Amino acid sequence: MKGLKKVLACGLIISMVAVMSVGCGSKSDDAKEETKEETKTEETKEESSNEVLKGGGSNIIYIITPSHSNPFFKTEAVQAEAKAKELGYEVKSASHDDDATKQSELFDNAIADKAAAIICDNAGADATVEAVQKAREAGIPTFLIDREINAEGVAISQIVANNYQGAKAIAEKWVEEMGEEGEYAELLGKESDTNAGVRSSAFHEVIDQYDGFKMVAQQAANWEQTEAYEKMETIIQSNPEIKGVICGNDTMAVGAQAALEAHGMTDVKIIGVDGSDEAADLIRAGKMTGTALQQCALIAEMAVEQADQYLKKGSTGLEEKQLVDCVAITKDNVDKLKTFVYSE
Amino acid sequence: MSSKQKTSNGSWKMTLLKGRTFIVLIILLIFFSFKANNFLSVSTLMIVAKHVALYGILAIGMTYVIITSGIDLSVGAVVGLTGMIAGGLINEGLTLKVFGVTLYFNVVAIVIISAIIGAIIGLINGFIITKFNVAPFIATLGMMYVARGLANIRSGGATFSNLSGNKALGNTGFEIFGRNIPGTPIPVGVIIMVIIAIIAAVVLKKTPFGWHVFAIGGNEKAAGLSGIKVNKVKMLVYAFSGFCSGIVGIIATSQLVAAHPRTGESWEMNAIAAAVLGGTSMSGGIGTIGGTIVGAFVIGVINDGMVMCGVSEFWQMVIKGLVIVLAVIIDQFQRNLQAKMALQARNENK
Repeated sequence: MKGLKKVLACGLIISMVAVMSVGCGSKSDDAKEETKEETKTEETKEESSNEVLKGGGSNIIYIITPSHSNPFFKTEAVQAEAKAKELGYEVKSASHDDDATKQSELFDNAIADKAAAIICDNAGADATVEAVQKAREAGIPTFLIDREINAEGVAISQIVANNYQGAKAIAEKWVEEMGEEGEYAELLGKESDTNAGVRSSAFHEVIDQYDGFKMVAQQAANWEQTEAYEKMETIIQSNPEIKGVICGNDTMAVGAQAALEAHGMTDVKIIGVDGSDEAADLIRAGKMTGTALQQCALIAEMAVEQADQYLKKGSTGLEEKQLVDCVAITKDNVDKLKTFVYSE
Repeated sequence: MSSKQKTSNGSWKMTLLKGRTFIVLIILLIFFSFKANNFLSVSTLMIVAKHVALYGILAIGMTYVIITSGIDLSVGAVVGLTGMIAGGLINEGLTLKVFGVTLYFNVVAIVIISAIIGAIIGLINGFIITKFNVAPFIATLGMMYVARGLANIRSGGATFSNLSGNKALGNTGFEIFGRNIPGTPIPVGVIIMVIIAIIAAVVLKKTPFGWHVFAIGGNEKAAGLSGIKVNKVKMLVYAFSGFCSGIVGIIATSQLVAAHPRTGESWEMNAIAAAVLGGTSMSGGIGTIGGTIVGAFVIGVINDGMVMCGVSEFWQMVIKGLVIVLAVIIDQFQRNLQAKMALQARNENK
């Protein structure tokens, strides 16, 4: 036990000394040098955002997405891969599992492999900036799809679905279906995800215009099916009168629908966002009102086309941030939807 | 005559078996350099080493723990927590409500604080395991959830971004741990791993503390009876594992220049796999740091090599799993062969 105390004491002393060195550090000199450095890096940053990236030298396009076990990301990756192959590129497809460190490692691999371009559905708006910057420094242009990052001028394109427009469009259909009145519940996505907030506020912008609606419950189900099922069951217990459910995504909508059906509540109007096949099946069967399709396949193809354009001509000719409209899917047009691809 | 031949035959097999992980590593390197065009180059190998450093350092601490026939499932979560603490200290500083001031530490202090917090969490693991006689699996499983929860609580699930520091506060320079040594292609993380590995290997082989670690893993009761302070050694071993996690937390956070509470999820599995691949026995008493590092490189080469070959993530999982199980099967072969040879030698002496 004594030895242990010694170790602890040593640790404390070291940390105290270190803390003291904060105060004692000669700040003025450091500060001067650092300001110089800062201005330098700013200059180089400005230069770099105008500079045309030539690619790493090979003919390989890296497609980095979240896990393919989610069909949304699988469609995205498969479509991008098909398009890139069509344009004559070699494709390597990898998954970061929503782990920012793993994503950073995949970017390293792409750099080592002298990739021509990277197409990425990223693992975090903040944690991705450094990886994209790293690729830029290696001369490799990155094209972001589906999710944005919190920096501009680092990636060449950021193509995302217009969640706001999509959620509003489907909310309007839902209001119509509900007859502009009734009690309803809302299932929210993960709080830390901006999309959860965007979709919810778009829903409410439409719904709150009508006095006949009353939201009796609002719960976070973190995008998950099982969690949505459980939350829905609890909500039914306290609010058996609900007529509608609005969900931040289709996975939660499917979970909520299962819970409602298990309690014999089959005429509740449910909407989600994404456009998954499960949701499409429910819409076809009349068990769900609708969903907003995020055209991930189209977005993936656009990214590859822009990468090709950029590598050949030095510019995409488009803004960095691009929004792609969602399509409101209801019983009327659900047959045109298959694995996130909407064909007119 | 015939018996002599047998032993020489056996020892030849033994050398092959003992160096098996290394042989596998060489085979993998050759295989991937044929399969992926840009694999065999200094820059790629440095990238592999940089990736290996993360769970390699965890695996060094894990090797100590496993040699005492324990396990530490909390390392990945501790990586996340210490990363969040470091990120928080840079972005928000430490606010002392009592005095109404906010302290900002320099990077050196932040690194030390994070590493010490890692070590303290390890110490708590060790304390619960030894004093309350809780199985290591359970104690560290609990700590895994606690640490992951705390990491999320620290920021409410959000990310601390842009950890470059503020020159006015004197806390710039945090990115250095995730980058290369200026002017060389060598990542700082790799150097840190090499330093920790050398120290850990020397302590394990050459000091009484190291012998005690082996003795406890071999037979805890006998070790206790022969005067080894079992509880103290075990607590220090878990503290070391926690310390390693703290260091990895710093490196991982520094690489991204952002601290995310989910950093390090399931890294404990890579660390355990690296230790086991390197010949550390899950039942304790056997293991080397050198073996663990080679094991970590095997996993790293498989991971990066498969990505650069364009193998799908699902097959990557299958292959990684098979390699680990196969390694343990070969390990058992070696044990049996060793036992047989020892028996043979004894018979010959008689």
